[in-house]
Amino acid sequence: MTLLDIDGLKTYYGADDGWVRATDDASLSIERGETVGLVGESGSGKTTLAKSIIRLLPDNAEIVDGSIEFDGTEITELSDKELRRQIRWSEISMIPQNAMNGFDPVYTVGDQIVEVIRHHEDDTSKAEARERGRELFDDLGIDPDRIDDYPHQFSGGMAQRAMIALALALSPSLVLADEPTTALDVVIQDRILETIKEMQEELNSAMIMITHDMSVVSETCDRIAVVYGGRIVEIADAETIITNPRHPYTLGLRNAFPDISDDDQELISIPGTPPELVDPGEGCRFAPRCPFAEEECWEVTPQPESYGDGHQVECHRADEIEHLQAEAGKKETWREQDLGERKPAETVDEQAAEAEVELDD
Amino acid sequence: MGLRAYVVRRCLQLVVTFWAFFTLLFVLFRMMPGDPTSMFIMDGMTPEQREQRIAELGLNEPLHVQYIEYVRQLLTGDFGQSFIYNDPVTSIIAVRFMNTIVLMATALIFAYIIGITFGALMGWWRDSRFERGGIVVTLVARSSPEFWVGIVLLSVFVFWLGWFPSSGMRTTGGELGGGFVARYGSLDFLRHLFLPALTGAIAYLATPTLLMRSTMLDVLNADFIEIKKAEGLPERTVLYKHAARNSILPIVTVAAIATGTAMGGSVVIETVFNWPGMGREMVSAVNNNDYPLAMAAFFLMGSVVIIMNFVADLAYVYLDPRVEYE
Repeated sequence: MTLLDIDGLKTYYGADDGWVRATDDASLSIERGETVGLVGESGSGKTTLAKSIIRLLPDNAEIVDGSIEFDGTEITELSDKELRRQIRWSEISMIPQNAMNGFDPVYTVGDQIVEVIRHHEDDTSKAEARERGRELFDDLGIDPDRIDDYPHQFSGGMAQRAMIALALALSPSLVLADEPTTALDVVIQDRILETIKEMQEELNSAMIMITHDMSVVSETCDRIAVVYGGRIVEIADAETIITNPRHPYTLGLRNAFPDISDDDQELISIPGTPPELVDPGEGCRFAPRCPFAEEECWEVTPQPESYGDGHQVECHRADEIEHLQAEAGKKETWREQDLGERKPAETVDEQAAEAEVELDD
Repeated sequence: MGLRAYVVRRCLQLVVTFWAFFTLLFVLFRMMPGDPTSMFIMDGMTPEQREQRIAELGLNEPLHVQYIEYVRQLLTGDFGQSFIYNDPVTSIIAVRFMNTIVLMATALIFAYIIGITFGALMGWWRDSRFERGGIVVTLVARSSPEFWVGIVLLSVFVFWLGWFPSSGMRTTGGELGGGFVARYGSLDFLRHLFLPALTGAIAYLATPTLLMRSTMLDVLNADFIEIKKAEGLPERTVLYKHAARNSILPIVTVAAIATGTAMGGSVVIETVFNWPGMGREMVSAVNNNDYPLAMAAFFLMGSVVIIMNFVADLAYVYLDPRVEYE
């Protein structure tokens, strides 16, 4: 059953020189209880896409087109008040990247859990809300007595658990997790991901996991959407994205992450920088960095093509899968100096290809 | 370390600070240029009279004996006799000190309540017309000298509109009531208080307003503000309960320092409005070489600063759970 259906979403930021198209024509639907990963570089628009769902955008951002239907409700048409009462936290909650900063430092964690429960449930007494907080703490493996501690008294991993407790306090149908484990060390990271999985299954909540870490998504997500330049360039089940991707960007991303079982693997980064999103014009946004770009790629924006089983790819050359996959594994394919060579003569200009792609957020 | 231990330790520090302060005061007054005796012994005295006067004041004793006597007097609240009034300093100063406190506390309370509220809203409505206008008004208030603001207020409200009395603390011939409430609670007193307190409030308004605005801008960028919005809490709750509550922390320290400055800065306002307070008394005591009175005035003003800092430290512990008691 479809819980969330995003269709043709365009979220733009007003800038001095025009609209920054942070999310441009993105479509995505999520089933109840499903976990979908949003993977992409910094500035690819994955966070904007997720925050558009609860309209938690800065003042200069605007959802200019598209629809977000959540459980039969059109979110883009709700008033602020309806959004606060019906959607935010009670139906869709979020887990931020750094939990320590996600809590107000001057109140105890318990007070903040009680605050949100009581705000959404008029009939719940303070004592009942507190008791629920203690139970959540217990479920998440934190000593319930620590509910009266202040956020700074928690360790990083424990703060993240407490944040998960806060996010699940109202049993939401959807949780937006924005790189929930980036700030933690790998061992803790694994345990937190496991905890999130368990709790999510118990509550049958769906989740959108925003990350740049392929290993995190491959472990936790049912499906993965790869985001580039504000567009979802490839989406499929996790298995397909990891083993049989069709988009050159996904292939490149895969190269940039170490495979622990392969000793000889050489990490290959994608040359160039993420695209300028102010008025990007026609053509594939990845073309300037793509080793396989042809004339058509520069001129026509690719539309999503289906490759069966929910696998959709926005690439003109996705049909030549064997060739792409074979070439993408070679280091010389991604050489920086080759950039722009395949560009049609009339559009060649000084392509900014100075910085290597950086995958931090 | 527990809260109680912290408070006890902070109290001990307070005692040490006080000791250092009044000792410094003692040394300063004895290091002033010239023979200290020449400051308060009338011309035309015979040498015998002079010797007798010095002995009366205990100034022929060795320094350490004088110091012990000085500490004993402070501890018993005895500041000696004023040379000019020939009354005990304590009785002269007690009333003036209270007059200054009432005036300055009113000014500061208004300045900080208005400043914190407006500063918070200016930060919340960033880039709005309200914020831009607010900054201009605040900077004008900050740049205007107190005496000038006082004179403008006097011209408008007293000489032109005639709404308020021009000077003093009460109408001449008015009853000097006995108790605190009778003295400072009467309508007549409040009418006299209004303009000088307003002058002070205008002068002190800028600091809390601008500080509150800039800390608000920092706090609003914090992740937890976004989470509170995502929680569906109404804007009002996010603004007051979370953003403003966090932004107020640095204001506490500044308020303590401002209180000390206000005690000294009251001289100008007291002079413009002819307010019978400590600031004016201190200036005239220094001018008249009224040594015990000046010393007592300095002592009280310094004490206000020390005590306010102490209060601010304790308030901080209550307001910010992150403060380490170390």
